[in-house]
Amino acid sequence: MKNNGRTIRRKKEDGGLAAVLMMSPAVLMLIITSIYPFFWLFRYILYDYNGFTAYFTGLYNIKRMFTDTVFWASVGHTFEYAILKLVITLPLSLLIAVVISKNIPGSSLFRGIFFLPTVISASVYSLIFTFIYAVFRGPLNTMLQSIGLISAPIDWLGDPSWVMISIAIVAVWGGLGNYMVYFLSGLSSISSEIYESSMIDGANARQTFFRITLPMLSPMLKVILLLAITTSFKDYQSILVLTNGGPNNRSHVMFSYIYNLIFSSTSTPQIGYATVLSIMAALIIGAVTALYMVLARKLDDVV
Amino acid sequence: MERSHAIKSTKQKTEMWIGIVFLSLFAIAMLYPVVYITLGSFKGNQELLSGGARLLPKKFVVSNYAEAWETANFSIYTANSIFLGVGTMILSVISCTMAGYVFARKSFRFKELLYSTFVAFMFVNVGSVTLRPLFELAVKVHLNTSLAFVVFIIAGTSQATQIFLCRGYVNSIPKELDEAAKIDGCTFFQIFYKILFPLLKPITATVALLSFRSGWNEYILPLVFTMTNDLLRPLTVGVNMLKNNGDGAAAWNIMFAGATLAIVPMIVIYCIFSRYFMQGMTAGAVKG
Repeated sequence: MKNNGRTIRRKKEDGGLAAVLMMSPAVLMLIITSIYPFFWLFRYILYDYNGFTAYFTGLYNIKRMFTDTVFWASVGHTFEYAILKLVITLPLSLLIAVVISKNIPGSSLFRGIFFLPTVISASVYSLIFTFIYAVFRGPLNTMLQSIGLISAPIDWLGDPSWVMISIAIVAVWGGLGNYMVYFLSGLSSISSEIYESSMIDGANARQTFFRITLPMLSPMLKVILLLAITTSFKDYQSILVLTNGGPNNRSHVMFSYIYNLIFSSTSTPQIGYATVLSIMAALIIGAVTALYMVLARKLDDVV
Repeated sequence: MERSHAIKSTKQKTEMWIGIVFLSLFAIAMLYPVVYITLGSFKGNQELLSGGARLLPKKFVVSNYAEAWETANFSIYTANSIFLGVGTMILSVISCTMAGYVFARKSFRFKELLYSTFVAFMFVNVGSVTLRPLFELAVKVHLNTSLAFVVFIIAGTSQATQIFLCRGYVNSIPKELDEAAKIDGCTFFQIFYKILFPLLKPITATVALLSFRSGWNEYILPLVFTMTNDLLRPLTVGVNMLKNNGDGAAAWNIMFAGATLAIVPMIVIYCIFSRYFMQGMTAGAVKG
């Protein structure tokens, strides 16, 4: 107790003030760019706010949400997009990672090439894909026609039955490298002795993959899946560039629809309504994540 | 690993070749868009509009770049992109290494709470709606006329992972080093500045590259902040605006040149430092 005064002075010498100052830029950024906007969200829930004036409308925004078919369709499209992206990206990137980890010649070059798209802005590669998807004599249609796969050009981004697939292909192109690197780091943690002993026991490539690689990867796989699910549910940047939700709202995901309510250059902003939808979207993503975590734990118990 | 090369059976060799062919096919598909846009940026507008799958330009022209640079403001867009990239990089490196150091070396009240707040807001995602209050705030404090606030937001929204990377790295450096420096009379800040910061080089490089990438590549944020101010647009926004402005077909050559300008610097940086990008990716994912 009698040392009280001394410990306080010691603490000052320990650089308490310096620590506070050094931490302050990060904390300031956290408060301004994350915490403040989050709580701002709840401010206009009950208002019709166009950016200049806010009118109190009570529960109208919430009622409107439940009858907004475009929004609920966009929720469906979000799931469609996420599932399409995951179903293609994850197995493909795992396969590529397994082949690359086999130490074949040029494996580091291949790794470099597959990871390359992740350093390019999604907005720019989406723009590049709009050229590739061009209907009349675009490179993709020209190639497919010349090898006889299609007889007439396909309107990749304008045909309601193709647009989601076209968008998913762009997402796969942009995201494959990320997941490959995740899988590679998971694979590198499996010791080569296990593979050697399974080889001696005469296991073929398929058996090795399903009996050794996949089970040993499963803890890592769970993390990767969680990341993949959360990121693919919140993607919307490429959709803004590729189609901006078209044709006829067919490719709107939740966040691209919300974006257009707030920042569209052609209509009045409906910010109050957009905040309600954003909260709903966050809840939907939260629910999906929680459901996944429960399922992952259940699977743990079974296996 | 080298040893196993020598004892490869014919079956393994065929497997290896199947693997190489498989990877090569995908590698071509991955590279195609990049090669297509880069070579296409040297085609004349007529050739671009007539389309086709041909990659090499029939006639090699560089006027697209001159036109983009001079008449379509791309010199300004490029400068703005550099500002966003370098600005985000500097701010992130300074702020994240310091925060990582304090988190690793200092115990203080509410440390856990602060730490979990950083984590929590990494996962809360409510989409673009959060840009609205930030935009209104920028207008209120008159920061909407420069890109400085955009840099601040990009650094702020991507900082969590980077702080954890730095914290983890500082933790791996023995504490004895700090104590020795302290006995020699270094203050808390001097220990960081003179002793630890130079040792943090590998992780600083990762943070610098990742944050440069997020600044350079950001699209929606500068799009929203520069709706009415063409001269503040970075390349990502400028090139996409051409598409939306309805000049459409007339400006294909400029869009090709602009898109190439937006991706090539990043690709060059990637080719030099690819190791750091991949490290940052996995470390961030696993530890974050």
